[in-house]
Amino acid sequence: MRMNTLVAFFAACLSFSMMAQAGQPRIVSADGSITETVYALGAEESLVGVDTTSNYPPEVRSQPRVGYLRALPFEGVLALRPDVLLTTMEAAPDRTLERLKQAGVEVIQLPVARSPQDTMARIREVGRVLGKGPEAGAMAADIQKRIERIGINTQGKPAQVLFLMAAGNHGVMIAGQDTAASALLDALGAGNAMGDMSGYKPANREALLASRPDAIVVAESRPGQFDIAQWPQLAALDAWKQGRYYVGDSMLLLGFGPRLPQAMEEVAGVLTEARPVASASD
Amino acid sequence: MILGAALAVSVVSVTSGAYPLSTVDILGLLQGDLDDEIARMVLFDVRLPRLILGFLVGAVLAVSGAILQGLFRNPLADPGLIGVSAGASLAAVAVIVLGGTWLGGWLDLAGVWALPIAAFAGGSGTVFLAWRIARRAGRTSVATLLLAGIAINAIAGAGTGLLTFYSSDEELRSLTFWTMGSLGHAAWDDVAMAGPWLLLSLCAAPFLARPLDAFLLGEHVVGHLGYNADWAKRAAVLIAGLGVGAAVAVSGLIGFVGLVVPHLVRQALGAGHRIVIPASALAGGTLLVGADCLARVVVAPAELPIGLMMALIGGPFFLLLLLRTRIT
Repeated sequence: MRMNTLVAFFAACLSFSMMAQAGQPRIVSADGSITETVYALGAEESLVGVDTTSNYPPEVRSQPRVGYLRALPFEGVLALRPDVLLTTMEAAPDRTLERLKQAGVEVIQLPVARSPQDTMARIREVGRVLGKGPEAGAMAADIQKRIERIGINTQGKPAQVLFLMAAGNHGVMIAGQDTAASALLDALGAGNAMGDMSGYKPANREALLASRPDAIVVAESRPGQFDIAQWPQLAALDAWKQGRYYVGDSMLLLGFGPRLPQAMEEVAGVLTEARPVASASD
Repeated sequence: MILGAALAVSVVSVTSGAYPLSTVDILGLLQGDLDDEIARMVLFDVRLPRLILGFLVGAVLAVSGAILQGLFRNPLADPGLIGVSAGASLAAVAVIVLGGTWLGGWLDLAGVWALPIAAFAGGSGTVFLAWRIARRAGRTSVATLLLAGIAINAIAGAGTGLLTFYSSDEELRSLTFWTMGSLGHAAWDDVAMAGPWLLLSLCAAPFLARPLDAFLLGEHVVGHLGYNADWAKRAAVLIAGLGVGAAVAVSGLIGFVGLVVPHLVRQALGAGHRIVIPASALAGGTLLVGADCLARVVVAPAELPIGLMMALIGGPFFLLLLLRTRIT
């Protein structure tokens, strides 16, 4: 065991680019969409652990979990003897990250993706770390192509979308400005019907009725979590009655990972019906 | 017996954790035979400060509970009652939520210490406030102190709630973790920063034993027995306030220890404060270190928040005890 520790330590001292060439670096991925990217690039054999936000693809559940990316445990991460901790700027606490660096773990913190450009840049970055540069480049190009195919409405008034989060114990929250939800709507050229407030706030049933959105999107953290029967105010909105709504997985909708085109296609599907002048289709 | 348990728990704490270190490795490290930088770091820079801090925090919480229960002559008193936890929470949440915007410059100055310093200031500040309110014409009323503590708790709670409402998603999550308590990032600087306050409050507490015994007989008796009642009240609030303030600052909110440990000790060893205070310190430290061991082992390589662990094990255990005997 002592020998292994030494080997892990020396391996960690090498730069990650060298390790990538040498074959498989041991990687702990602490971010759901980075983990998705690792799987999408077919590099999951490098993974030795993930965090609790990593839930897709389903195979990821067999990985050891080091806890939540905002409360990473030093010993827990180190116990997996990673060469690289691949995470985002959201990772915390700083002190744990600092100590991991001291222990010879390469800590790579990628920016938080909030646009298609960020998403593609992040995929390329993950590809570089994994030694899968060409694959990542191809994936980014494919994402670009798929997103271009989704029509972005530039003429007239953008469709106003009410974005809700059905999040466990918080009940239903409304997504305002400065949220990944709002960023997704921006990417689609749509407007946030609740754009006057910022962050996620508990839903006010009257405000829901007053919002009169063109379409509704509900992000669930568990499938089937959102129950429309509990929300008659929503069901009373024209957008809901006329079927211009989409209920889907929150990691898909808000992850800004490899599935971003799929997320955008799903939401665009209910938007095109909301727009009189649909510029969609190629 | 408690001493034995404390030793046993310390050994377990040093030998257990997510990172595999065998007893042989540890002995090797202690004797300087094993030359493994990472193992050395895990043992000396992670587990050892964590053990020391956990013990001190647990001891201070339990002792403060014992003192306040004595002072208020109320078995339900715990360090939270005089507003220390609520004040510390308010200050910590303010730093988390407003840190990036309003307090920017000041925050840069304090760096990673901003949160603990604020928590400590908030905790001791509210205790001081409660104490000032309770003090009138040179005398301190214990009943007013209790009520002032309750009012301040409510106000600070509302302030925390308001800030929580205005917090972003990320801020909300970091403050949720803070309120569940953790010894997970204990390092030597924490020990250096909080250690003196914690030790000071632990060393001062035994001097209160006799006046507190007198308090048990009634407040008017204290003077007749030759103690300065007002001095004792002031000292009790100061010791508990500073100690718990420092504890909360480095470990977040950890409930249960302060409330329950003194009861366990009194049941086992009698109600005399000359025994209850040191025994509570030992038992509280032992309990917290034990809970911390479990917290980092049960879901390894992840860690449970220790406040959660404490209530999870402590709650049922205490209930069982209540069912077996009636605590007066």
